[in-house]
Amino acid sequence: MKKATFQFVLRRLLQVVPVVLAIAAFNFLLLRLAPGDAADILAGQMGHATVEFTEQLRREFGLDRPLYQQFLIYMGKLLTLDLGMSHLQQTPVIDLIVDRLPATLILMVSAILLAVIVGICIGIAAARRQGRLADNLISVAALLVYATPAFWLGLMLIVLFSIKLDILPSGGMMQIGAGHEGLAHVLDVTWHLILPATTLGLFYVAIYTRLMRASMLEVYGLDFIVTARAKGLSEGVIAWTHAMRNALLPVVTLAGVQIGHLLGGSVLVETVFGWPGLGRLVFDALLQRDLNLLLGILFISSVVVVIANLVVDLVYGLLDPRIVHR
Amino acid sequence: MRSTGILSLAMAALLAGVTAGSALAQPKKGGTLTYTYHPEPTALSTIATTAVPVALISTKIYESLLEYEGAGLTPRPGLAESWTVSPDNLTYTFKLRAGVKWHDGKPFTSEDVKFSIEQIALNYHSRGRTYFGNVEAIETPDAQTVVFRLKAPIPYLLRAFQPSETPMMPKHAFSEQEIAEKKVRQARIMQEPVGTGPFKLKEWRKGSHIILERNADYWKPGKPYLDQVVLRVMPDGAARAIAVEKGEVDLAPTSALPPAEMQRLSKLPHLVASEEGSEGLGPIMWLEVNLRDKPLSDVKVRQAISMAIDRDKLVDVIWYGNGKPARGPIVSGNPNHFDASLPKFEYNPQKAAQMLDEAGYPRGAGGVRFKLTQNFLPYGEEWVRQAEYIRQELGKIGIQVETQSLDMGGWLKRIYTDWDYHFTSNFTHNYSDPTIGVQRAFISSNIRKGASFSNSMDYRNPRLDELLLKAAGMQDGPERKKIWDEVQAILRNDLPVIFLIEIGYTHIWNKRVQGLITNGISMYTNWDSVWIQ
Repeated sequence: MKKATFQFVLRRLLQVVPVVLAIAAFNFLLLRLAPGDAADILAGQMGHATVEFTEQLRREFGLDRPLYQQFLIYMGKLLTLDLGMSHLQQTPVIDLIVDRLPATLILMVSAILLAVIVGICIGIAAARRQGRLADNLISVAALLVYATPAFWLGLMLIVLFSIKLDILPSGGMMQIGAGHEGLAHVLDVTWHLILPATTLGLFYVAIYTRLMRASMLEVYGLDFIVTARAKGLSEGVIAWTHAMRNALLPVVTLAGVQIGHLLGGSVLVETVFGWPGLGRLVFDALLQRDLNLLLGILFISSVVVVIANLVVDLVYGLLDPRIVHR
Repeated sequence: MRSTGILSLAMAALLAGVTAGSALAQPKKGGTLTYTYHPEPTALSTIATTAVPVALISTKIYESLLEYEGAGLTPRPGLAESWTVSPDNLTYTFKLRAGVKWHDGKPFTSEDVKFSIEQIALNYHSRGRTYFGNVEAIETPDAQTVVFRLKAPIPYLLRAFQPSETPMMPKHAFSEQEIAEKKVRQARIMQEPVGTGPFKLKEWRKGSHIILERNADYWKPGKPYLDQVVLRVMPDGAARAIAVEKGEVDLAPTSALPPAEMQRLSKLPHLVASEEGSEGLGPIMWLEVNLRDKPLSDVKVRQAISMAIDRDKLVDVIWYGNGKPARGPIVSGNPNHFDASLPKFEYNPQKAAQMLDEAGYPRGAGGVRFKLTQNFLPYGEEWVRQAEYIRQELGKIGIQVETQSLDMGGWLKRIYTDWDYHFTSNFTHNYSDPTIGVQRAFISSNIRKGASFSNSMDYRNPRLDELLLKAAGMQDGPERKKIWDEVQAILRNDLPVIFLIEIGYTHIWNKRVQGLITNGISMYTNWDSVWIQ
């Protein structure tokens, strides 16, 4: 890595600290606005609970202290990377997240890879046939997919591939109790991944298709493409080597921005497919007012998003050597 | 007449054949029972929380002193092989079974029983004080004997030893520090359980599944039949239904599926749907009414509201036929305490409107007599639709209702801490005795800010208080039954809540699963006799 790039990465990582802390502080205060707390919920779950019982829980969870004290304690712990205990599960928050994060990352990365690769290919294909039947069909299909809600699409895919055709599992991340290891385990997970990754990724395929098509058409109008054509290069070479690299920048930008969006979308997809990721954990934590868990997940998510954006910045440099990181 | 006779003979023969057929079917050893429920349990012990998902799984791992038979929960030997009760009902002596081992191999002794009640149930279980508050001392003369000495009789003590209510916990698995600092909820055993039950934990992949495996050292010879019990965590209701339909999952217990899906699946030939097996929980739904202000403080108004709601329609349309109209505070499936002579609540909107006229609430502009706000329990879309139906029906008799939506945290706070509501749907359990499940909602000493599922209505009736306290200190029998009959009559007349539906817990399972329904808490028993064909 070049020295300038290294310094850039270092500086950006240092900038992350105040940003993430500010997000955590904001989340902490925002979540306190909702009425009720984890002690109420847990006492409610237990059926009839006395006032003393609920107060005892509140003391156990440290929710009986004044808000400013809770805030200072939380932020103090956060500085030492201690995310605290989940109120309802009474397990360290970091353990719960570490259990779930890999599943979400696998799903997200597969979905975004699918979306970017397929989206780029179809986008280029459409741009090369601008105005012709194939281009129009692709545009209509992209629009349809773009307008389809993920949870519905997921259920329809289950009905088709799992019930009618019976060729793919309806949910879960692995065959329970099969005890696969090594390659068999990887294949098993991949097998279970196909439907959820497709469900999550299709929406983005549509976006990248549209974006790549527009971006390619713009590049096609530039002088260097005219020059390339004048040199007698084939259309294929022009499209895949000259135009594509230049047209990729907006796609990469959008992909970076959408990492956060994708995390949100994974909540629905994980729910439909019973995929054991963070998405569902965040939803349950919110309903159960498990603030420590919720804050922990939001904290880790913001770190993931910030790092993803950093990676995007680095990819810029690869795509366009004129971009210098300073 | 004659043909009827022949027909019934044929029926009898047919029935005999069916019975003989099922008697021939011998329990088969082996196999895996997979069930699904959502949300995922947060712990594997009902000490941490008695939420349904926790009770479902932990009752296969932990046991209590007794087992139960039938809807009325008749006590049978369990970890205690026999017991005696003194004539004054103040001393209970339990003889423990010899040779019972915890999953870690250590012996189960009377010390564990004493510890489970004194240190765990009384301090951590939300109903621990209700069950054992009147216990004066627990003595352990030897390793196999436990003596409970009571300050006053506890009529339901023998029904308190259910695995979800009073699980036996191994004393040796808790550190002194965890006990002293009251950090039991954080103990390792909450996530890595050590019980005496027929199944023990094999694997828990959070968010995905839990696998319990057969306890080879289980104290009942030849049991359990199953090799494994698996919980599949599936957050989406439709996906759960598909898994049951496809046979990927054998059982969806305790209304684990959306009502519309339950209705659909109950018609499939390879599945069984049943509301039996939850009588000991006694689930009931009502409209909780805030009696602090007019017009709801007026009993005539409440009676009119009750009369304006068609409970049969609620059951059929909103709940897809799941449940039956409530006839009072005690569910009709409770054979020990329900007054079977109680009629259904009357549905008569014309009369309801007339009652409001008489009570001094004539129709004003736009036909509106007065306005109310309703909340609903945030348990899913059926509750929203029910609120919509009630709004519509009350509108017809001139009560304009505005519906307010809150999530669980907000709902609990508004109803039980702020008391800031007019009326709300609510859902509670009778449990195995009305002193446990009914008293809490209606006794005036339980009008306490911050106590959930308490008397949020501000209902005060000295006669009722007197009856409830009398019943609480009395053994079951005709005398006590008479008291409960009067309690039911008073509450039906006063309507501090509008009783709606005995909402059924529907269990749906694949026909290859046998022996599931055994008593009034069938899903909270240890399933040691369940087998797969």
